[in-house]
Amino acid sequence: MSAPESAPETRVRREHRTPPRKPRPAPTARGFSPLRIVGMAFVWLFTALNVVILYWLVTAAFKTPIEIFNKPFHLPYTWFERGDPFRNLRYAWENAGFGNAFLVTVALVAVSSVVIVAVAAPAAYALTRLGVRGSNPMTNFFAIGMGIPFQTLVIPLFIGMADLGLTNNLFGMFLVYVALSLPFTVFLLTGFFKSLPDELEEAAAIDGASPFRTFFTVMLPLARGGLITALILNAIGLWNETLLAIVFLTDNANFTLARALFTLYGAASYQSEYGGLIAGVAIVVLPMLVMYILLARRIITGLTLGAGK
Amino acid sequence: MATVTFDGTTRYYAGNPTPAVDTLDLEVADGEFLVLVGPSGCGKSTTLRMLAGLEGIDGGAIRIGERDVTNLPPKERDIAMVFQNYALYPHMTVADNIGFHLKIAKMPKEERVKRVREAAALLDLEQYLERKPAKLSGGQRQRVAMGRAIVRRPQVFCMDEPLSNLDAKLRVQTRTQIASLQRRLGVTTIYVTHDQTEAMTMGDRVAVLRDGILQQCDTPIGLFSRPANVFVAGFIGSPGMNLIPAAVSGESATVGGMSIPLTPAQRAALTSDRVVVGIRPEGWSIGSSGVSAVVEVVEELGSDQYLYCSADIPHVEVAESAEEREAPHAFTVRAPGMSGWHRGDKLALTPQAGAVHFFDAATGDRLPD
Amino acid sequence: MAASPQTSRPAPVTSPEADVTSAAGAHLVRKKRLFWPFLLPAIGLYVLFMVVPTVATVVLGFTSWQGAGDTPEFNGVGNFTELFASDAFLYSFLNTLLYIFVAGVGTFLLAFLFTMVLREMRGGKLVRAILFFPNIVAPVALGMFFSIIMIYRPNRQGLVNYLLESIGVDAVKFLAPENVTWVVIGCLIWASAGFYITILMAAVDRIPPYLYEDADIAGATPWQKFRNVTLPLTWDVIGVAGVLWTIGAIKIFELVFVLAGPGTYSPPIESWTLGLYVFDRSFGTAGSPEYGMACAAAVMMIALVSVLVVALRRLMRRETIQF
Repeated sequence: MSAPESAPETRVRREHRTPPRKPRPAPTARGFSPLRIVGMAFVWLFTALNVVILYWLVTAAFKTPIEIFNKPFHLPYTWFERGDPFRNLRYAWENAGFGNAFLVTVALVAVSSVVIVAVAAPAAYALTRLGVRGSNPMTNFFAIGMGIPFQTLVIPLFIGMADLGLTNNLFGMFLVYVALSLPFTVFLLTGFFKSLPDELEEAAAIDGASPFRTFFTVMLPLARGGLITALILNAIGLWNETLLAIVFLTDNANFTLARALFTLYGAASYQSEYGGLIAGVAIVVLPMLVMYILLARRIITGLTLGAGK
Repeated sequence: MATVTFDGTTRYYAGNPTPAVDTLDLEVADGEFLVLVGPSGCGKSTTLRMLAGLEGIDGGAIRIGERDVTNLPPKERDIAMVFQNYALYPHMTVADNIGFHLKIAKMPKEERVKRVREAAALLDLEQYLERKPAKLSGGQRQRVAMGRAIVRRPQVFCMDEPLSNLDAKLRVQTRTQIASLQRRLGVTTIYVTHDQTEAMTMGDRVAVLRDGILQQCDTPIGLFSRPANVFVAGFIGSPGMNLIPAAVSGESATVGGMSIPLTPAQRAALTSDRVVVGIRPEGWSIGSSGVSAVVEVVEELGSDQYLYCSADIPHVEVAESAEEREAPHAFTVRAPGMSGWHRGDKLALTPQAGAVHFFDAATGDRLPD
Repeated sequence: MAASPQTSRPAPVTSPEADVTSAAGAHLVRKKRLFWPFLLPAIGLYVLFMVVPTVATVVLGFTSWQGAGDTPEFNGVGNFTELFASDAFLYSFLNTLLYIFVAGVGTFLLAFLFTMVLREMRGGKLVRAILFFPNIVAPVALGMFFSIIMIYRPNRQGLVNYLLESIGVDAVKFLAPENVTWVVIGCLIWASAGFYITILMAAVDRIPPYLYEDADIAGATPWQKFRNVTLPLTWDVIGVAGVLWTIGAIKIFELVFVLAGPGTYSPPIESWTLGLYVFDRSFGTAGSPEYGMACAAAVMMIALVSVLVVALRRLMRRETIQF
């Protein structure tokens, strides 16, 4: 048997034409309805507004109050002319204690997020994959926690923590952050664990791995995407957390960024120190912006996951 | 009712310099059932979607009757479409699904209900009118999709592989139902499929496409008996035609030591000294002399028996992929059912009179008879 | 060619199936033993830090209690009658309802408008990403930002009044107590829209495109497509989004606190929310704390969120739709 020859080209193409740069859209897409036009205009206006706001925020962080209010769309120049372009940031960093708050926040957020995921992951696994009856009501019991406004538990919690000497204390803050982030994290991770296939777990069981080992060597690596998402979302949430920090932290040395910003606000508006204040806002916002630019897709899908299911 | 005319219709997709459909010229008669067939990616669905107004048209025109519809939105084209996945609205009952287009067209309620009833009666759906699509079987869903097309009383039906989601047995039944329904309603129909059996059994005419180019448009008999080129020859018919490259010397081509004569017209049309000889499985006679072959696999169908043979001659491959080939053998021979052939048997094959097709090896085109 | 039967493995002495099932059964039992060790840390912390304090708040809501150093004394529904007699609470309650309903309706209308347009728009993903961003900015930062751009101060106006004056419109005292509620509603809609657009768009993206194609052939307008295809097929997601909105809107605090007030102490009561009321009566620096009243207000928050969520779920209940 000889190798098959390929079929000869049958009907040759007509003369060689240059393809259009953009294929024509379907006639449906070309129809203009008033609703569509209004909608489009509105969407772009709204989007442009967001971009303008971001521009305003970033430039204002380098401006004097006069520039901020009288030349809102100009690029900053006064501090640049005086050879001190980072004057506002320095004010916030040094005079308003943002330097220390930054370190406190980074450490607190990092440790808390990791511990939250470390506590929530086994719980989510237990609730979804061990086939124990009562898992569903238990999961709902956790989910209800997402609906409890923190204001409703903060008074007894504060009294209790004060009795233990854990108020105005970063360890106490850490405990509160971990505990209060659990409902959301457990709920998020149950979704991830539910979506994992059974086969690998069964294969590991047949190979004789203990359930404990299966969890660490098979399930955790499989759920890695979910764990990272949970880590990021918790980090964002805690970075921005203000209410609990206001209640539990009273000493400047313990302040988180959001807490420091809250304190700066009163003082800065009183002294018209708007440049420093906006620099403070920028210090809180810009790390989130960087994170968002790097991880937008993961953050968006993670935060909207529960609702889409 | 109306004719449908494709006039040099061309479609490009972004980022691809070769058109998905290349200057298609095709005329569909009033009331005709035309099937567009070809391997996946040949442009058949694109052609249908251009007709329906779901795709833009980059060159040429499409006319329905005398109207140029090239730039008209779908609803002004007076067409109805049956989608591959039926496109039933899961939240609407069967009645609402069938009547949806009429509702959008603001037809008065009594008229709408009447038309939906008629369509349901025609399709045997009356007892399901209040059900949701999720509670229907595949065949019932398919009929609802048909019903939605029928109630519009359009000039043209567009059907995009409407049977591909049904299981094999139901597909054969539904095939005849659709064909007879179309003949009863007399609505011009363009039907897309990748299944050549479906094409041959349903269409008044069948248009074979490949890489966006129309290969041949003819009646099923015409396609089968006079394929215009090697591609059509290999695509139409199951199992496929045996295609054997051969050299021409003097007045005949030599296949496996046997010479098959060419007519003077065929020799004149030849652009080189190479031809492709095409013989269908049923075109062979098993005798005592001729091309020798060894039976590798016997496929017993009861009514027929297909012998897949190896022989020391080359062959031409026209199927798109290895998986789609019927069998990896050079030769297919049809024998009467329960003939008693076995693996390893040696055959001597001669082509029957009038069963030989010649194609130019260089261009692939059919040589005149 | 078919493999010859000799190549298959010789039959094992014991049946492999029986072996596997008993092993699997034993495995299942061992798995179930993991349940409590795995769950306990999470559930312990959750109960200790969230469930117990919430229950305590409910109990304390029925007591008269000044705060640390004072002993709670049961006084029945006294706190609640007092709440409904106080302007501060009534403003708080009313504003919270306004934020939930007015801002909620605004946000969802905006999100619907966007889903109608974004589905067919190129660059839609980028637009979504830009609109989503305010959701990951601290509300306290958003509040400050808005308060700076809305400052009313002749000759040194905030950005918004600067723009109004530059087009010849008189500047507005946006942050005055009588206006601030509406400003907060606007800010809430602006900041939340992206989140709800994203949720709804994710649901819209799951709708098979051929349904919209069929609607095109029927000649449906964008509104008809929305009404007949998008809305019914995203109904369950809209319900969940509504619950999320309610939960989020009921605890609004920082945004109002810095937008309406000087930041060091509570803003005027006309702008209060329930969350702000609880904070002001417990940890806020103005006046002497009244923990009992704060807890009673917190009970009202729980009651409100429960009633609304249950009502919403009832209202939105439909049979589930499979594509």
